[in-house]
Amino acid sequence: MSTLAVVFTAEFLRRIRSRAFIAGSVIGAASIVLIAVLPALLGGALSSSTKNIVLAGDPKLVATAKTLLAQDFEITATVPALASPPTPAYLDAHGKASAVAVLTRRADGLHVVAYARDPSVFREEFGRDLAPMQIALATNVPVERVAKHLDVPVDVRDVSGRFADVSAADAAKGIAYLFVMLLYLSILLNAQAIMTSVAEEKTSRIAELLVATLDPARLLAAKILASAATGFIQLGVWIVVGIFAGRAVTTMFSHQSASASSAAASASAFGALSVSSGEILAFLAFFAVGFAQYGVLYAAAASLINRTEDLGSVAGPLVVPVVAGIILAQLGLQFPNSPNVVICSMIPLISPFVMFTRIAVTDVPAWQIALSLGLDVAAAVLLAWLAGKVYRIGLLLYGRPPSLRQVIATLRA
Amino acid sequence: MGTLVLSGVARSFGDVAAVRDVSFTVPPGATFGLLGPNGAGKTTTMRMILGILVPDRGSVLWDGEQVDLRVRRRFGYLPEERGLYGKLKVREQIAYFGRLHGVMPPYDLQRADAWMERLGIEQYASRPCAELSKGNQQKVQVACAALHRPDLLVLDEPFSGLDPENAEVLLESLRLLQKYGTSLILSSHQMWQIEDLCDMFCVIANGEVRAGGTLAELRSAWPTRIVQVEPAADPLRGVLDALPGARRIPEPDRPLLAYEIPADADSASLLRRLVAAGDVTRFERVEPSLEDIYLRAIGAAA
Repeated sequence: MSTLAVVFTAEFLRRIRSRAFIAGSVIGAASIVLIAVLPALLGGALSSSTKNIVLAGDPKLVATAKTLLAQDFEITATVPALASPPTPAYLDAHGKASAVAVLTRRADGLHVVAYARDPSVFREEFGRDLAPMQIALATNVPVERVAKHLDVPVDVRDVSGRFADVSAADAAKGIAYLFVMLLYLSILLNAQAIMTSVAEEKTSRIAELLVATLDPARLLAAKILASAATGFIQLGVWIVVGIFAGRAVTTMFSHQSASASSAAASASAFGALSVSSGEILAFLAFFAVGFAQYGVLYAAAASLINRTEDLGSVAGPLVVPVVAGIILAQLGLQFPNSPNVVICSMIPLISPFVMFTRIAVTDVPAWQIALSLGLDVAAAVLLAWLAGKVYRIGLLLYGRPPSLRQVIATLRA
Repeated sequence: MGTLVLSGVARSFGDVAAVRDVSFTVPPGATFGLLGPNGAGKTTTMRMILGILVPDRGSVLWDGEQVDLRVRRRFGYLPEERGLYGKLKVREQIAYFGRLHGVMPPYDLQRADAWMERLGIEQYASRPCAELSKGNQQKVQVACAALHRPDLLVLDEPFSGLDPENAEVLLESLRLLQKYGTSLILSSHQMWQIEDLCDMFCVIANGEVRAGGTLAELRSAWPTRIVQVEPAADPLRGVLDALPGARRIPEPDRPLLAYEIPADADSASLLRRLVAAGDVTRFERVEPSLEDIYLRAIGAAA
């Protein structure tokens, strides 16, 4: 058995038996279940509680508005007028409403004043629902006719042939984002594990013994491989849990009302995982290169510290590209073919996040995927080489932490 | 079994020259004592032997070949700063280091058990190392270093922090390895242990070799001897003072005369002259101890 295999096996077993790994896996799986179930569970309740409203104003106006608003709101009461601005107690007394909408007709048309518990949530829906009424008042066309003609049927069709319908495209975005978050979590958790392992070996002086027996680059490689293996296992657990949670939620809510079903739509994306084998391969490939890049960086950084308490100070800057990757991945979901996003999908450290989202939501030319992967692999090799040098020196460097100048001098040596 | 040869080895850290020029040979199966004050370059020299550090100049050869990873797997190392995985159980820890040196299952665990028994720590086999006392952790470290029956075992200050009982256990283990034919290189400040255990010595200071060889060779190269004469009578003192190159060593607590005389001085002739001068109840020519040699070498370097 080679030393690489010995260290890999030991690291893998140590990591997979660790409380941190078990707790991380369980908490991650529980979080996924919560993400899948909570919107569905709370969605209906929240929507029903936040969409109870009271209408006030001229009874004729109120009657017309009631019909139009019924598609989005539950009208708990109608009153001819308000003596004073409503208080929360007034809202509680009127069917625990979340708002009172006062309708008045002015020379320029319908005017609405809404007194809401949360002013941020009504304006758009009110405006949209009451638009036919405004047009009807201005044109004297019956409101029913206006409403009928305002509803323009739009049939969006996918020219790429990737998605059966709009909901499938939306689901793909949801799934892509979910996978990017998993990549983010996995890199953070497992790269931190590499970091802790390196720091432990350095601070407890085991590193000196190990370096006497095996090549530091091999030691580093074994650590990263072991951590990647545990990362893959963790991801597998999370994905399986996600699929089952999604399916369970879809089944649970399939019999419920339309509003509840819409709340469950995000959760149903888990259950309707229509991920192609190509996407899975892409995810695994970008996971591997992303993990390798961050793994070597975290290991090199950890080799420079002398106390485990200092881990945070060297880990902090390394989170920046991860967070940048997440933010750019969100842009990639919305504008997958924008030139800026395309460029970002080629830049190592952030491309594992951005390119994967592009692959999930659009047809990325094969050469772009190959170029991105190639650059990532080259960057991983280069970073491994540089980090290996820092790691080799850093492991035996005790006392005052090295200055940036010393680190650069080490890299030049 | 092999011969270790260091030739003109040097290593600097920035502007600091830790090792300037160190050369010595460790024959197969020899036990070699590396002596020197703090900062002399012992640990750096050991690290270069083990390939942890690469020399700036010079060479480290094992049986005439550069020391590479394959050779290093046959070496063992007990560093001055002990290092163990705190959460790993004792038995697993020892077996792991055995596997790193090529001892494959099931022999890794079998040998781990044997070493634990030898060192008297078998009752801690399933305990995490962090829960052991410092002395027992050092025993675990010894087992980790010796499990694969190394061709060469390098021990940096192996006795530091050990109580006499544990030091004796370690000595027994080292004697066992000597029987296996393992070459040992060890540094220590405790001269009596070194003197008892080692066949050969090398004193280094300021990164350079100041003295080296077997104890007999070191003694023969020693330029002076000590003579002790009783009683401390003036006529006898006069004879000793008249001897060319003799220097009196104050012995305020003992009623005797102690003189350092040139190594080539004729002791028999000196004794005859002393007897002629007065009553001599004791005449002893004392060989220099390892500590004397060490202190002189270090003083020369200072």
